Amino acid sequence: MVASRRLTAATRTGRRLAPPRQGFGQIGRGHKITTYPFSPRKNGRKGMAQSQGWVRRYFKAFCKGFFVAVPVAVTFLDRVACVARVEGASMQPSLNPGGSQSSDVVLLNHWKVRNFEVQRGDIVSLVSPKNPEQKIIKRVIALEGDIVKTMGHKNRYVKVPRGHIWVEGDHHGHSFDSNSFGPVSLGLLHAHATHILWPPERWQKLESVLPPERLLVQSAAE
Amino acid sequence: MLRGVLGKTFRLVGYTIQYGCIAHCAFEYVGGVVMCSGPSMEPTIQNSDIVFAENLSRHFYGIQRGDIVIAKSPSDPKSNICKRVIGLEGDKILTNSPSDFFKSHSYVPTGHVWLEGDNLQNSTDSRYYGPIPYGLIRGRIFFKIWPLSDFGFLRESPNGHRFSDD
Repeated sequence: MVASRRLTAATRTGRRLAPPRQGFGQIGRGHKITTYPFSPRKNGRKGMAQSQGWVRRYFKAFCKGFFVAVPVAVTFLDRVACVARVEGASMQPSLNPGGSQSSDVVLLNHWKVRNFEVQRGDIVSLVSPKNPEQKIIKRVIALEGDIVKTMGHKNRYVKVPRGHIWVEGDHHGHSFDSNSFGPVSLGLLHAHATHILWPPERWQKLESVLPPERLLVQSAAE
Repeated sequence: MLRGVLGKTFRLVGYTIQYGCIAHCAFEYVGGVVMCSGPSMEPTIQNSDIVFAENLSRHFYGIQRGDIVIAKSPSDPKSNICKRVIGLEGDKILTNSPSDFFKSHSYVPTGHVWLEGDNLQNSTDSRYYGPIPYGLIRGRIFFKIWPLSDFGFLRESPNGHRFSDD
């Protein structure tokens, strides 16, 4: 009974199938044991079985890669560092000296501000207090407790409250900064801009230096 | 032997990084469980209640009047505050205390929100430090999970008279 079925299967595909060997005939190369009816040598079935297995394997690999790569990449860009293009003229001449012709690309370092520690003179990016969808990039002029002599603010002298900083753009008069909206809360701090990455001729490390004309009236920690 | 230990250590570190990143993405973009402390939101949220907060509304700018939000404290960025949104940008807010004879109003500036705790007598909120920027909001609380006697969605504000829709 079994032999006759085997023969018909062989004649159906037009190939002769060798009978499976048993016992010590398997040592060495031997014959491949084929089990019916799921023989991979049958063409139609081979195509379907292989394409199903291929799709499932690809899907599994994609899911594994997706759930590993995407969270790691997102966490890295949120917590460690990311890159951003600077637009506008409020930080000239430090950033974007060419105006709209060439925008600088800066490296934003989140890791340095993870404990909200900034120094006077740092260039930082923060969430705009007037528009939460926008990030602005300015220089830190004063920390909490300092008294600042303002340029264009409604009060002539402002004491920076606890947990706040005073930021200004280097290009006074063309900058929407603390002279317009007052001291900003440290909670809005986004990142510390450390290097200019593009264009290549402007590749440099950004220095944390206070412009000399913005020296403070009184510093908190002396 | 050493290679086995080293291999196991690397695998452990790898898994820790991977799950840490997934946890960060979940807390940052979806939501998480938060424990509240302090009396400023009584009776809606008592001291040491555990609530569920979601962060999707913040990213899609869907925070509305009457929502209870978690925000970074304006005077201490490392600590969080939990208050109710009384006014959005452009709203007129009553800033006087009930004992004053003359009512004084102020408008919430653009990009800011006005927060108040439900326990008006015992809450340091926008009546003290002014409106806070929207960027400080971390998430919206919408569900309480502990204590079990109070399980469920959160109640409306007991201070309905503070809302003025102008």
